[in-house]
Amino acid sequence: MNEPTTSHRNIASREALESRFAHCIVSYLNENVQAVPHDVGERLRFARERAVESARSRRVAESAQGVGITASGTAILGFSRSHWWLRVASVVPLVALVGGLVLIQDWQVRTQISVAAEVDEALLGDDLPINAYRDPGFTEFLKAPPSE
Amino acid sequence: MATEKELTDFLKSVEKRAWKRAVYAVRDDDAALDIVQDAMIRLAEKYADRPAAELPPLFQRILSNATMDWFRRQKVKNQVVRNFSDFEAGGGEDFDILETLEALGGPLQSESASDLVSRAQILQMIDAEVARLPARQREAFLLRYWEELDVAETAASMGCSEGSVKTHCSRAVHALAKALQAKGITT
Repeated sequence: MNEPTTSHRNIASREALESRFAHCIVSYLNENVQAVPHDVGERLRFARERAVESARSRRVAESAQGVGITASGTAILGFSRSHWWLRVASVVPLVALVGGLVLIQDWQVRTQISVAAEVDEALLGDDLPINAYRDPGFTEFLKAPPSE
Repeated sequence: MATEKELTDFLKSVEKRAWKRAVYAVRDDDAALDIVQDAMIRLAEKYADRPAAELPPLFQRILSNATMDWFRRQKVKNQVVRNFSDFEAGGGEDFDILETLEALGGPLQSESASDLVSRAQILQMIDAEVARLPARQREAFLLRYWEELDVAETAASMGCSEGSVKTHCSRAVHALAKALQAKGITT
């Protein structure tokens, strides 16, 4: 019954010893690393300053992007490339334009068909036979001014 | 978001250890400086808007990636494979590790007065033994104990499981204890 407890205790004890030893080693490493050569320290300082400068430039660029300029020159806040909905919004007018042109074309075709159908219906439903319009005399009759 | 001062302080606090870690990995001081600079700039450009508390694990991961990139650029794939897949602790466990760890847990010094080794030499020995560790063990040991990341953060930084981190750390500690004992370094 006591075996698992003993084993667990051994593992805990082992881990504690490992941790204590590791921290002892690390304290020496810390001491060692403080004694880096001067030129290395200077180059690290230079690298750090470059990195911080880089972060600063990025922040300035981002804040500049955050201010949009309208056509009239008025500055507006909140404009940013990172807003996906602004990109979508810029595409919507184009989609609406193309969709509108397609609808207009479709409406025109339907109108032409409708007009042609009305003419055909009028001709076919008239009492006058359609062949009468091919008769030259009837054509002349139509062109002639109405007489008393 | 980390302020400029927080970013500066953070980089200042890790730069020397980062350089040393890179030196352990690539064994070239100048290349290590380039790697650290690259890692710092990557952190500053991509993650400067993160909270200051998130910077340590991010930086360690970036540093590891920058080191891997250096190896790729050098086209020494064989060395990478050898360094980053060596999980062997090396040697048999024919000595009592618990006893050794217990003995080495305090301040280290030479075994006898006649064989006195100066503190600087002990530091050099420890440095050399850490450098001699297999890369994954060294990475786990340094991230876990030197950079004081927890097991989960270390695992995330190394891209492995938490169990692997514990195993690497344990093997690293045992290897160091054995090596130092062999050199006559005790409490």
